[in-house]
Amino acid sequence: MISITGVSKKFKNETAIDYKDMVFESGKSYILLGASGCGKSTLLNMIAGILSPEKGEITIDGIDMTKLSQKEKDLFRIKNIGYIFQDFKLITEMSVIDNINILKLEGIDTSKADEVLKSLDMLERKNKKIKHLSGGQKQRVAIARAIVKSPEIILADEPTGNLNFAIGEVVIKELTEISKGKTLIAVAHDDRLCKYFDYVIDMNEMTGGRYDA
Amino acid sequence: MLKFALKNMGIKKVQVILIVISIIISASVGVLAFNVSSQVSDGITSNAGYYSLIVGPSGSKTQLAMNTMYFTEEPLGTIPYSVVTELEQNPNVVSAIPYAMADNYNGSSVVGTKSKFLAGKELKAGEMFTDEGSLEAVVGATVAKQNGLKVGDTIYTSHSAAESSKHEKGILVVGILDETYSVYDRVVFTQINTLWEMHDHESDEHEESKNEEHEHMHGTVCAVLVNTKNPTYAMQLVNEYENKTITHDGETYSLQAIEPMQIVRDVLSDADDTKYIVFVLCAIILIMNIIVISIITLLNMYHSAKEISLMRLIGISMKKINLLYLIQNSIIGAISTVIAFGVSRLCLLLMGDYVATMGVVLNLNKVYPLEIIILVGIFLISVIPTIICTFVMAKRDSLAE
Repeated sequence: MISITGVSKKFKNETAIDYKDMVFESGKSYILLGASGCGKSTLLNMIAGILSPEKGEITIDGIDMTKLSQKEKDLFRIKNIGYIFQDFKLITEMSVIDNINILKLEGIDTSKADEVLKSLDMLERKNKKIKHLSGGQKQRVAIARAIVKSPEIILADEPTGNLNFAIGEVVIKELTEISKGKTLIAVAHDDRLCKYFDYVIDMNEMTGGRYDA
Repeated sequence: MLKFALKNMGIKKVQVILIVISIIISASVGVLAFNVSSQVSDGITSNAGYYSLIVGPSGSKTQLAMNTMYFTEEPLGTIPYSVVTELEQNPNVVSAIPYAMADNYNGSSVVGTKSKFLAGKELKAGEMFTDEGSLEAVVGATVAKQNGLKVGDTIYTSHSAAESSKHEKGILVVGILDETYSVYDRVVFTQINTLWEMHDHESDEHEESKNEEHEHMHGTVCAVLVNTKNPTYAMQLVNEYENKTITHDGETYSLQAIEPMQIVRDVLSDADDTKYIVFVLCAIILIMNIIVISIITLLNMYHSAKEISLMRLIGISMKKINLLYLIQNSIIGAISTVIAFGVSRLCLLLMGDYVATMGVVLNLNKVYPLEIIILVGIFLISVIPTIICTFVMAKRDSLAE
C-alpha cells in the first residue's frame, strides 16, 4: 500500500504543489489524469524516491520514503519499483537485452528477460539496437526493463505520450495485463485509456497548490 | 560489470580509439626517447671503459676512438707493428692488443686482432682463433644469424662493396660469439695475420692497382689498445706517445695516444645538448598528449552525462556508475600503455641498424625502471580525469536535487 499524507513539493521557481492525502491499494491499477503541471509526474517521482517532498510523508508498505537517504531510495527503487519513463530512458546505442541487463549492475536478476520480452512480442528483436526500433517497440523495452525484476509496484509516467492512440492503447493493454496483481500507477492525458484501469484519479482535484495549467 | 563496461566501450568506438591513440603516442614517445638515449649513453660509456689508452696514427682523436671502440668510421691509417711490441715490453703495461680494420663481410667490418681482444666475451659455438695462426675467424652473433653462418663455414671478405673486390682466400669460421647486445655482435674478428695475408696476396695479384693501404698493410696495425697497471702510467704513456714520430722501413709515422674515457666524455658532453633538446621536445609532446587525453576523457565523460543520469533514474547508484567508468578507463589505459610499450620496442627494432652505425646495438629486452614509471604515470593520467569527473558528478548528483 502506498499512502500520501500532507505532501507538499516546492520547485526552484518557487511554485508549490500541495497534495491531498491519497492511498493506493496493493494489487490495484490507477490512472492519474490531469492538466500539464498539476503534479502527476512529480507525484510518481516522489513515490519512486527520485524527488523528495518539502513536507509530508510517502509510505510504501510502512516504509517512509521521505526518511530514507538518496542511496537507500535508489536501492529501494531498483529493487521494488518498476519505473516506465515517458521518454523511455534507454541507451539507444545498446541492444534491447543490454538495456535490460543494465540492472545487473545493481545485482538485479534479469533471468526472466526472454520470458518478459516474449510476452511483449519483442523476443526476436532482443539483439537489435534501440535506435533501430519504433516508438512502440521502445516503449515495450522500457516496460520489459521495468517488470523483469517482478516489482510489486509499477509506475508509468505517460507511457503512451510518444505514441499514437492505436499503438498507445495496445501498449496500455499489455502493460495492465502484465501488471495484474501488482500496484500500477500510470500517468496519462487521454481519458480513453481509463477503461483499462481499476481506478481513475483526477489530479486536478487532488492538488491544492498553485500550478501552471 | 566488466562485460557491461566492455559493451559500453564498444558503443563509443570513436572516443575510445582517439583516447587509445593519444595514450599510445605519448607513452611510446616518452618511453622510446628515454630508452634510446639511455642505451646509447650506456653503450658508449661501457665500451670506453675497456682500455686505459689507445695509440694510433695522428689525426682525429674522436675518429681513432670511434674506430677502435665502436668499429665505426674509417681507420686513420696505419702504424708499424713495432709499436705493439714496444708497448708489450713496457713493464707498466698489462696488455697491448693490436687492432687493424680492413675489408668487410657482407657489410660487417672485419677486424684483425688477438684473441685477448675478445676476453670476457662468451662463445656460443666453436672456439677462439689461435693468435699464431691465420685465416680463422670468430664472428659476432648478428653476423652469424644474418648470414646463416655456423662453425666450419668459410667466408670470403671483400675490400669494398664491389663483387670484384672479394678476396679469393677464404676464412674459416672457428667460433661464434654469444650475443653481447653491443656492436661486437656485428663484427668479424680474425687474426692480424689474416689481414696481412689477404692484403699481401692482393698486392701481388693487383700490382698495378695497389693502393696505399695495400702497400702498407703487412707489419702494420691501425691502433694499439693498451691497458696499464694504473691510471698514472696511462697518463705517462699518453704524454710519451702524443705527437711521437717513428721511422720504420724507411717510412715516417706520426703517432698519437688518447684516453678513450676522456674522448667519450667529450663526445657525450657535446651530445648532452642534443639529448636535452630531445628530452624537452619529448616533454612538450608528453604534456600536450596529457592535455589531449584529459580533454578527450572529460569530453567523453561529458557525453556520458545523459547515460549516467539515465542509469541514476533507473536506480543504479553513483558508486556502481563510478566503478563502471573506472573499469572502462582502466581497460583503455592498460591496453594503450601495453600497446605503447610494444610500439616503443618495434621502433627500437626499426632504429637498430641506424643506431648500430653509431657503435651501439640496441637491446630490445632492456627495460629501464623509468620506462615503467612513465608507463604507469601515463596510465594514471588516463584514469585520473575519470575519477575526478565521477567524483564531481557524485557530489552534484541530480537525483539529490
